[in-house]
Amino acid sequence: MLMWLRWSWRDLRARFVQVAAIAGIAALGTGVYAGLSSTSGWRRASYDASYSALGAHDLRVTLASDTFTPPARLKQALAGIDGVAAVETRLVVPTSVDASHNGRTILVAGRLVGLDLSGGGPRIDTLHAVHGRTLQSADAGSARLVLDDHFAHHYRLPTSGAVTLSGSRHVSYVGQVLSPEYFTVMGSEGTMHAEASFAVLFGSLDTVQRLTRHPGLVNDAVVRLTAGGTPAERRAAARRVETALRTRLPRTAVTVAAIDDDRAYRMLYDDIQGDQRLYAIFAFLILGGAAFAAFNLIGRVVEAQRREIGIGMALGVPRVKIALRPALVGFQVAFLGAVLGVAVGFGVSRLMLSVLKSFVPLPVWVTSFQLATYARGWAIGLALPFVATLIPVIRAVRVEPVDAIRTGPTAVRSSGLAPLFARLTRGNSIRQMPIRNVLRAPRRALLTTLAIAAATATMVGVIGIVDSFLATIDKGESAIIGNRPDRLTIALNGFAVRGSPQLRAVTTAPGVQRAEPGLQVGGTLRSGTHSLDTLITLVDYRSPMWRPGTLSGHLIAGRPGIVIAEKAAHDLHVHTGDTIWVRHPLRQGLGYKLVESKLEVQAIHDIPYRFIAFMDIRTAGLMNLDGVYNTVAVAPKPGTTMTQLQRTLFAVPSVGSVQPVLSFAQTIRDMVNQVLGIMRVVEGAVLLLALLIAFNSSAISVDERSREHATMFAFGIPLRTVLGNTVLESIIVGSLGTALGIGVGYGIVQYITQILLPGTLPDVSIHAAISATTLVTAATLGVVAVSVAPLFTARRMRGMNIPATLRVVE
Amino acid sequence: MSVDAEAGRLVSRIELRDVARRYETGGGTVTALAGVTLSVAAGELVVVLGPSGSGKTTLLNLVGALDRPTEGEVVIDGHSLRHASRRELFTYRRETVSFIFQTFNLFPGLTAFENVRFGADVSKRSAPAEIAREMLDHVGLAERMHHFPKMLSGGEQQRVAIARALATGNPILLADEPTGELDFRTGTQILGLLREQAEAGRTVVIVTHNREISRIADRTLELSSGRVISDTVPPAGPAAVTDLHW
Repeated sequence: MLMWLRWSWRDLRARFVQVAAIAGIAALGTGVYAGLSSTSGWRRASYDASYSALGAHDLRVTLASDTFTPPARLKQALAGIDGVAAVETRLVVPTSVDASHNGRTILVAGRLVGLDLSGGGPRIDTLHAVHGRTLQSADAGSARLVLDDHFAHHYRLPTSGAVTLSGSRHVSYVGQVLSPEYFTVMGSEGTMHAEASFAVLFGSLDTVQRLTRHPGLVNDAVVRLTAGGTPAERRAAARRVETALRTRLPRTAVTVAAIDDDRAYRMLYDDIQGDQRLYAIFAFLILGGAAFAAFNLIGRVVEAQRREIGIGMALGVPRVKIALRPALVGFQVAFLGAVLGVAVGFGVSRLMLSVLKSFVPLPVWVTSFQLATYARGWAIGLALPFVATLIPVIRAVRVEPVDAIRTGPTAVRSSGLAPLFARLTRGNSIRQMPIRNVLRAPRRALLTTLAIAAATATMVGVIGIVDSFLATIDKGESAIIGNRPDRLTIALNGFAVRGSPQLRAVTTAPGVQRAEPGLQVGGTLRSGTHSLDTLITLVDYRSPMWRPGTLSGHLIAGRPGIVIAEKAAHDLHVHTGDTIWVRHPLRQGLGYKLVESKLEVQAIHDIPYRFIAFMDIRTAGLMNLDGVYNTVAVAPKPGTTMTQLQRTLFAVPSVGSVQPVLSFAQTIRDMVNQVLGIMRVVEGAVLLLALLIAFNSSAISVDERSREHATMFAFGIPLRTVLGNTVLESIIVGSLGTALGIGVGYGIVQYITQILLPGTLPDVSIHAAISATTLVTAATLGVVAVSVAPLFTARRMRGMNIPATLRVVE
Repeated sequence: MSVDAEAGRLVSRIELRDVARRYETGGGTVTALAGVTLSVAAGELVVVLGPSGSGKTTLLNLVGALDRPTEGEVVIDGHSLRHASRRELFTYRRETVSFIFQTFNLFPGLTAFENVRFGADVSKRSAPAEIAREMLDHVGLAERMHHFPKMLSGGEQQRVAIARALATGNPILLADEPTGELDFRTGTQILGLLREQAEAGRTVVIVTHNREISRIADRTLELSSGRVISDTVPPAGPAAVTDLHW
């Protein structure tokens, strides 16, 4: 056994460059899998630890929009409900935030959260200071607030400073904090990572009540349960509490949700699963490339040992023993790759950690070594290339000894598929060689093609997903902008009736050319057992400024009906003309209750976000909100800039927030840019993989063709011509591999966008798209990089011992 | 290389002046050739005889500029190769010498016709396709021109290799054990072709360990341990190929 092992070491040493290249490829596959997958374990453990460290709520009680109640009443209503252990009431109010800093205008939508600081509170959903300090009991009633760290970090705001809230209310902040509810900032439209356009400020309850002119009132409560161990238990408790509150607060519309149904919480955890599937796809593609490359190398080793294998068989050595030597080579290459993979995985995971920490800053990060993940990656990284090497080994030992030993004319290598095309290609014999060489060894060419295809497919898959996101954003942006990109959307502080001073203050503000009041309410769409959350915007279907575009159906002004997204129609299994149940608020006296109405799907709009739905403003009577508005769309007069108008409206007391219509698209764009960080890590690995595969296949090719090259040199053909032929051969294989890789890559993007993403990003309708830039990058990588690789062998060719290679030396 | 004005034929004279070739190995210095001085006249067929390790292939490699001598110089038509640049050596191989290898070294991806055309293409001769056809016809393989090497017998492959060397039109033919892989009948066919080339004015050097082959030579050089131990001319002139036996 020791002899076979030593012999295999000599084989490895003889091809150490190729061995290193394949081990590197296998290491990349193993490392990318282990490194990326480790982050899944880290993320899950870190989320759990962070939610626990900050005492995240079990249930959240939210009063309907514009509905408030004294804290004692809400506490009293919740007290004594079975399972409720602790309650803290809060006031959560939308606002606009002017955080302009160092000459940069920063005007964003935001939220003011008033917390009960009495007795060292809050004790549920506590705050973690990242910079500066958190709130203290002494801050109660003062104008001192703390700022959500995501927003502050995004705009590089100082640790403490001042901001202006809507209604020109100036406040100071003394620190930047993290809160469990905002581990990822959700925009008002339901998008993750919305810190670029959404600021959250925390203050004492008294302070926020005073700032928002809601003295002695709250509209929100967080609840801790006595026993809330599992999501099912928490959801059951939420239903129980909601039922109880309907009885105890009959005139107040209240929703109770378990933390598991909190959008940010759910998306953070769901994201892990979705990302893990992506990591597995990328890692297996890379490992696939490694397997093909290993197959090529061992095929070459076996070919070189053909006579020795024959001699061994002629001497009666059992086939299993003969197979041991090349099999040991394959195993050791795979083993080396897997060992190096641990180091690569460690590097990848460190890179990912820095991306994740900026992506989702958490108070606690648990980054322990994920032994099980590494062991799994190691086993796959070892098994896949090793199994690939066994195929040529088995083929080699099945040859008859007499055939293996044979030398001379009958041992001339086969012409492969070259005869099939011999009559199609004519002309200079030297120029024929590249295509003939590809055809002559179809299996090797196919394996190299597949290896390059695997690398290209991974790259197209990675970048194609980003392309698809960006194409979706562009589509959404174009649909939302319409022909008035300078529109601003105003969220009022509360409901305002037609002709009221609050509304007039907006519509007649200086710089406003046109103003269209609207209404925005949350709701649920349901068809059979399928339901989904929605944000219904009631707009004027006859508006000359903007109205939704449609993919099918028509906007019918004045007739009750709803216009939903293509993705919503798909998920609800409905079409234009069908009817669905819409759960929406119904004004009743001073409060609201949620009711279900059956509405016709009048049309499918062209905005790719599922949660967006439209109704005509004339049908607001359905909600008993005829003539009542909470949003206004405005267009600036010629000569007035959007920023000027934004500042003017910002100062109007009834205005909650003023956002350019483009800000939503910008939020999604920012989100994608963050995702790009992860993609870049994979992209770097894929680029390296493609180069290694290219180099490896070139090195094997040069090795295999050495006698032919020596013959050409003996006939006086210059190095550049020989090298040119090798490059051309690589271009042919590279082009085939790239074309195949692009096709497979597109399939991967299709699979990810159509199968994986709807699970993790259900609110966005993403269609597979691959940009021209991606195609050019793929072509550059697959063709140019692969073609350039033979040039690295120029030195070796130049130094070739021609007589020895021709075997004319005695 | 020069042209004999009278005969209108390509001629090339080979000279080796005190040539030595030593190799450094792990075990010390190995002398493959030591102080060899000889000359081969243009149009002469010389057979270099010797056992394995005698240095005959090294001699062929030096003449073919595949290798450089450690000492002395190789002179072709009065031009020394000693200081020739890499580029000049490539040009020399392209325009002056042609190899015929024991193991043929045909390109497996090219047909017999294309392999022969390769020779003409390398030398940038005009009408390479016609030359290739003519050469294949000359070696009796006109019917097999579209066959790939794998489909040809050993003798046919060697004939293709000779046709390829001839297609270059170069004046020196260097053949390394050209019959080593062949049976007697095929071997004599090949030797007949080489003899023909010498008669046509090409300088032909054949390296072999088969003493019988030396009978067709104009001169026979015998090497042993890197030295020329005999240089003989058959008193009755070269024998006919048909007279050979082995």
